[in-house]
Amino acid sequence: MLRQLAGCATFFAVDQERRGQWLRGVLDLCVLALLHRRESYGYELAQSLDASGIGPIQGGTLYPVLLRLQRTGLVSAQWREGASGPARKYYRITPAGADTLRRTAVDWDAFARGVETVLREVQTR
Amino acid sequence: MNSDGWLRALAAELHRHGLDPDLARHVVAESATHLRDSGESPLQVFGPPSTYASAVAESVGAPRHTAGVGTARVDAPARAPQTAGPVRLEVRGITKRYRRRPVLAGVDLTVRAGEIAAVVGANGAGKSTFLRICAGLLSPDSGRVRVHGTLGYCPQSGGTADFLHPEEHFVLVGAGRGLNRTQARAAGRAHAAALDWEPAGRTQARHLSGGTRQKLNLVMAALGEPDVLLLDEPYQGFDRGTYLDFWQQLWRWRGDGRAIVVVTHLLNQLDRVDTVLDLTPAREMSA
Repeated sequence: MLRQLAGCATFFAVDQERRGQWLRGVLDLCVLALLHRRESYGYELAQSLDASGIGPIQGGTLYPVLLRLQRTGLVSAQWREGASGPARKYYRITPAGADTLRRTAVDWDAFARGVETVLREVQTR
Repeated sequence: MNSDGWLRALAAELHRHGLDPDLARHVVAESATHLRDSGESPLQVFGPPSTYASAVAESVGAPRHTAGVGTARVDAPARAPQTAGPVRLEVRGITKRYRRRPVLAGVDLTVRAGEIAAVVGANGAGKSTFLRICAGLLSPDSGRVRVHGTLGYCPQSGGTADFLHPEEHFVLVGAGRGLNRTQARAAGRAHAAALDWEPAGRTQARHLSGGTRQKLNLVMAALGEPDVLLLDEPYQGFDRGTYLDFWQQLWRWRGDGRAIVVVTHLLNQLDRVDTVLDLTPAREMSA
């Protein structure tokens, strides 16, 4: 029983780590996509990502991604008072960001479809 | 750790990483907003301040970074190429024996303004002896030392007065360097702040922790902005953060045109200094 539990825990940890790896590959794209809909701020982005099923993204992961996007000119940022509540740092996608998003989304689509095709054989077997 | 404490620690860590102050302020403010919105604990959302600061520094491409805990490597800020300043410390042919055991045999060293020289060597190789000779606290058997300008010396230990408060030390040492009480206190507090130390208060030196006493020693050496700083392993007892602060402070001093001699056995700093003086005796090196 204990052994089973230990095995479970290991599996869970590996599972988390794999999810983390997937996320690292696509989080910036997802953030760009959300900002393509409309400008937003960190906490709201985290909530949107969670609501979309990508999973809870902690601030420690999200903000460095936003900073990198800002540094590379794919998003711009501005401190502003919201309609209600305190001043927040609002992020907005730039034309360069939209361009990158379009191109990379096509690449991702092809890649994900390949993975899905291969993995589906396992599911249906 | 509550949010305020965590945010303060984050600000300090970002400073250590050399983040632009404006950017650092924005990062802290954004973290604070997020914590207020989410109502979650900072450790859960962002992790430890040092880890988060590293991630932030990396994503904004800060000029330097620190490696993982334990290695505590510090990268020096990139230096603008510059011509070396005037010679501040000239050491020629220093020889010293203790009884019949030769400790230093014909040691030379030249340090110019805006340079850091590291003195390395095994225990007993004569590093502290060499620094004491440079400071004029000990006479060499032969050779000479010339200091062009004023001198500050930070011993490896001792050097503080047990029953005096930190600020009384500043006043005392400052008086010898032409600072009045107010100036000495202000200068002491400023140097202490660079080491993340708040020296106000009436704690006698004997009740300070070893690391804090070394900060006091370092501040005293720096009072009056001497042209030459001789530092004998001043970081003993420093925690990792203070150790990083210490090297930042050295590079600031170097940038200000000081000539610095620092005894160190931490080899990972050696490519960050301008000169390395290895006092390991030749026979041991060839062994």
